[in-house]
Amino acid sequence: TSTVLSTKEDGSTPSADSTTKEASKSQKDSAETPKKKLLSLIGDMKVEVSSMRKFQQLNKPDTNKQTGTQREGLRGRSGALPKATEDARRSKPLKRELVEAVSAVASSLPLNKEKTESDLLAQLRRHEETTDKQKKGGTVNIRNVISDMTVKRESPARRGVRISNLISLELEEDGKRIKPEQLGYQSSDSRRYFLSLRVGRRLNIFTKTSPDTKNTLTTASSPTIWDLEFAKEVAAVTNQPPRNGFEEMIQWTKEGILWEFPIDNEAGMEDDAEFHEHIFLEKHLEDFPKQGPIRHFMELVICGLSKNPYLTVKQKIEHIEWFQKYFEEKQEYLQEI
Amino acid sequence: MAAAALGWALRAARQVLPTSCTGQVRGYYVDWRMLRDVKRRKLAYEYADERLRINAIRKNTILPKELQEVADKEIAALPRDSCPVRIRNRCVLTSRPRGVKRRWRLSRIVFRHFADHAQMSGVQRAMW
Repeated sequence: TSTVLSTKEDGSTPSADSTTKEASKSQKDSAETPKKKLLSLIGDMKVEVSSMRKFQQLNKPDTNKQTGTQREGLRGRSGALPKATEDARRSKPLKRELVEAVSAVASSLPLNKEKTESDLLAQLRRHEETTDKQKKGGTVNIRNVISDMTVKRESPARRGVRISNLISLELEEDGKRIKPEQLGYQSSDSRRYFLSLRVGRRLNIFTKTSPDTKNTLTTASSPTIWDLEFAKEVAAVTNQPPRNGFEEMIQWTKEGILWEFPIDNEAGMEDDAEFHEHIFLEKHLEDFPKQGPIRHFMELVICGLSKNPYLTVKQKIEHIEWFQKYFEEKQEYLQEI
Repeated sequence: MAAAALGWALRAARQVLPTSCTGQVRGYYVDWRMLRDVKRRKLAYEYADERLRINAIRKNTILPKELQEVADKEIAALPRDSCPVRIRNRCVLTSRPRGVKRRWRLSRIVFRHFADHAQMSGVQRAMW
C-alpha cells in the first residue's frame, strides 16, 4: 500500500543527497503502521547511495535472502512515485523508497549496517541492470530462435496423405462413418498441429533410446493377463455370430468342419512324389548282394511296398534302410552259416 | 494309516490329462486300468514299425532259420507293453472292458443313455 511508502518518506530527514527526499515530502498520510514506527526511529540515518568503491569491495551477505521479500514488495509499488534526479555515475538511479527501505532494513539487522546497506543497494542495482538488459536485448534472442523456424508449405500429396490418415483413424465412430465433408474441416485444424512437428532445427534435448531395451521390455511382458483380456474382448466384438446359413457355412469351411466343394479327392494329401517313385524301388537295393536269399527277401519286400498306397515314399525308403542296417549287423553271423 | 497314505499318494500321482481345449474337460482318466491301456497304446504306436520289420524276418521261408531265431530273441526283448495284442478297447467314458461298440467307443449302457436323451446324432430306437 502507498501509505507505508509515504510514511517512510516523511520519516526520513534530508541527507547529503537530499534532493530525493524533497519530492517525497509532498505526499503525506495519516495511517500509522509498525513499519512506519521503525522507519521513524531510523529516520536520522544517512543513505549512502553514490559510493561505488564500497560496492565493489563488499560481498553479498546472506541477509539478502531475508530482505528479498520486502524489497520485492516495495519495488512493485515503485512505479507509482516519480524518479529522483541522481548523480551521473549510475546509468539508472535506484528508487527512493527502495533506498529508504534498504536503510531501514540495514539498521534493523544486527550486522554491520553500512556494509549491509551497500550490499543491498548493489544487489538492487544489479537487478535493475538485468531488467534493462532483458527489455532491450531479450527480444533479439527470441527472434533468433523464431527466425529459424520457417512455416512449410505442404504439398498436395502430403495433404492427401494426411487426410487419408485421418480417414483411416476416424472411421467407425459410434458405428457410423464420418463423411469427407467433416474431414475437410478437421484437416485444416490439424494442419497447424502437424506442421510444427518436423519443422525447425534439432534442439538435441532428447537422446535416442536404444531399440534393444524396448524390445526386451515388450517380449518379457507379452503374455500378460491384460493382453489376453483385451484380445478376448476384441474377439468377442469382432467375431459376431453368422447372420444366415451362408455365413455359417463359410465359417465352417474356414474351420475345416465342412469340405470344400467341388470335392477334391486329394485334399489334405501333401505327397509330392510321382507314381514311379512309389513303384520302382529297385534303385534302393544297390547295396544288397545280388544273389542269395537276402536278395530274394528284399525283392519281396519291395513288391509289397510298391503295392502299399498308404505309405509315403519317405517311409518306404526308411523301411528298406532299416533292413540294410539289420543285415549288415548280422553279416558276421551270416558268414558262419 | 500307512496304507491309506500310500493309496492317497498313488491316487494323487495319477496322470493328468493334457487340458489344451476349452470348455468342460475332466482332469483325470476314469481309472488306473484306463491309464495303463493308454500307456500300452502309446508304446505300441512307438514300436509298431520295428515289430513289423522283425516279424517280416520271422514269418519267412526264404531266410535261414538261424536268422529267424535271432529275430525271435530280439522281438522278445522289446518291452511287453509294446505289442498291440495287449490293447483292450475300453469304453471311453466308463472304462468298461466289455460291451463296447467300436464305432462309438462307448459301452452299451452309456450308448443307451445318450441315445435315449437324443444326444447321439443319427441314432434312433429301432421299430419295425
